[in-house]
Amino acid sequence: MSTFEQLQSVIASTLKIPPANITETSSKDDFSGSWDSLGHVNLMMALEQTFGIYLDVEDFAKLVSVPTILQYLKDQGIE
Amino acid sequence: MAQSKFAINTFVQTTSRSELRALLAASSVKLTLPQAQDIIAHAESLGAKTAFRLGVIHTYTSDLLDPWFTFEAALQGFDLQIYHAPYGITFQEASKNSGLVQHKPDMTLLLLRREDLHPDLAYPLSRLSPAQQEELLNESIAELLSLVAQFREHAVGLIVLTLLPSLNAPGLGLFDAQSERSEAAWWAKLKMEVTARISASLSSCLFVDLDEVLLQIGRNNFFDHRFWYSSRFPFKTEAAQELARRVVGLGAVIKSPKAKVIVLDADNTLWGGVIGEDGMSGIALGPDYPGNAFVDFQRRLLNFQQRGFLLALCSKNNAADLDQVLQEHPHQILRDQHFAARRVNWEPKPENLKALADELNLGLDSFIFVDDSSHECAAVRYTLPQVEVIQTPSRAVEVPFCLDQVARLEVLSLTAEDLTKTEMYAQERMRREFIGNSGSNGLGGENYLHSLGMKMTINLDCIAHLSRLSQLTQKTNQFNLTTRRYNEHQIGEFINNRNCLVADFSLADVFGDSGIVGLAIFTIRSDNRADLDAFMMSCRVIGREAESAFLHALLRVLAGRGIQEVYAEFLPTAKNGLAKDFLANQGFLAEAEGEYIWDLQSQAPKNLDTFPITVMINV
Repeated sequence: MSTFEQLQSVIASTLKIPPANITETSSKDDFSGSWDSLGHVNLMMALEQTFGIYLDVEDFAKLVSVPTILQYLKDQGIE
Repeated sequence: MAQSKFAINTFVQTTSRSELRALLAASSVKLTLPQAQDIIAHAESLGAKTAFRLGVIHTYTSDLLDPWFTFEAALQGFDLQIYHAPYGITFQEASKNSGLVQHKPDMTLLLLRREDLHPDLAYPLSRLSPAQQEELLNESIAELLSLVAQFREHAVGLIVLTLLPSLNAPGLGLFDAQSERSEAAWWAKLKMEVTARISASLSSCLFVDLDEVLLQIGRNNFFDHRFWYSSRFPFKTEAAQELARRVVGLGAVIKSPKAKVIVLDADNTLWGGVIGEDGMSGIALGPDYPGNAFVDFQRRLLNFQQRGFLLALCSKNNAADLDQVLQEHPHQILRDQHFAARRVNWEPKPENLKALADELNLGLDSFIFVDDSSHECAAVRYTLPQVEVIQTPSRAVEVPFCLDQVARLEVLSLTAEDLTKTEMYAQERMRREFIGNSGSNGLGGENYLHSLGMKMTINLDCIAHLSRLSQLTQKTNQFNLTTRRYNEHQIGEFINNRNCLVADFSLADVFGDSGIVGLAIFTIRSDNRADLDAFMMSCRVIGREAESAFLHALLRVLAGRGIQEVYAEFLPTAKNGLAKDFLANQGFLAEAEGEYIWDLQSQAPKNLDTFPITVMINV
């Protein structure tokens, strides 16, 4: 499974969005009903647990789209 | 990573929720949120669900607990409907038209922070003198109790009160434990006072101590400072899941069939090894590993007995081998008298469980079955799906803890009868064995009853028995003339009403004391007439003429008070066939279908010396 596919699956199950609707360019604003501020905190926890990373509070506000999250993961050595 | 993938696959291959729960409890895998979501989807596919409505009042973020509430609810078979009150809104929700009351919750969870109790708690406790601390304590307790009492005035289900543990170690640091201004001691005192006052004055209200969760997982695993400071959400995943498990588990206690019996296998469950092969000196049971784990497990089983659960044995063994361990093994904790019933033979276990259910007069859905064999566990799961099956772990060190996460083994209250229940059932078993013996000695039934030396103590309008009497009306199904259920409040009203007579009895014999097992409620009318509103007796003492002695003793009391006529009725249910002919057999005249009358002026009650029981009445 590619990192994108893993991310797609995490976002889908955490925020209850059909995986097919999540593309490599999706962002928080595309799913305003489910990717809200609460959903975002849940997603941050899910990312940490799935990819074994530790996010700083300052990162939370930046990781609001698929491309920024993928780039972040890449910077952590996860590709 | 590979290992946890494997575990997740085994979870989603389970075929029942109780199997899934048992597997999760036995595994040490820490679930991630996406894994939990997969398990939720699987658990929800496993059969019908019961509605469970939860209301949450909170002074910190609670919505983020939802995935874990949903997870635990899915495991228990609940269709969970959660209402979160607006953030920080508390007492306003305790009103008639609030969102909470309209949600009609089965349970209302109060998630409060410590500093909510008093504005002074925002500053160090240690700045206050012991006298000032005492004053603050009283004010804080009063604040908390008045909040809970306001909720109790509305139909908000079971109220579960929690206080978020302190984010920090005590302000005085290491010295706190020594200090007369100790913060830890202050909070311990507050919790003790609050719980004592809740039990004394508020019904259906429970304090759940989150400090216990913190002890279990540790402060560093409990709080997530990032989410706390950025989103007012205190919990790390492990804490969130454990909190949800405890809260939803209480839901299982109030909504699922009540568990009453723990049925235990013997070999590799109560001790390591097989008694029939390894012999007394070969089984693992004693002060050294692995025997010490089994000794510990037996001690923990006694704790469950103290909670009011019966213990029973179901083992494929020669009865003599097993008896030898129970009677002679120096490190065996559970002895013969600890088991309410036993089946030690070579019959299939599902058959033995059915026989145990018959003997104990209890439904199979009240059984928790513990066995190390995958084969026996599978056979019971397949044949008797209503039985909750726990497989004894194969590693001895895990055995003592294998029942810790069974939600239905929690209790919300305890009566004196609960504490000695197994003992009473064990006495009953000895009585039956005694009958067996006296039968073969040519002693008839009558003689047998006389040989028991029974003494009945009848108490009239005894307010101290309130909770047991309410419990009797809730639990007695078989020997019950009217099956009217009353809560403690209603029983209290009967007792305090001068125009009602509430009588209960306990029965002692050479084997022991039954505790309170019978209840009758009469309402006295102005025309010298008494109506029998309720009459019931626990099946534990059936077949000893106690019901008759009780009835005639009460008829005598009524006659002494100038009552001329006693009206009684029998209201049939699916379960009370046992009591159908009781009134007619005692001498009541049938008036109409199910209605009976006794005219005390023309017909005297039986003399009490005609019964094999000595009756004593306390007014």
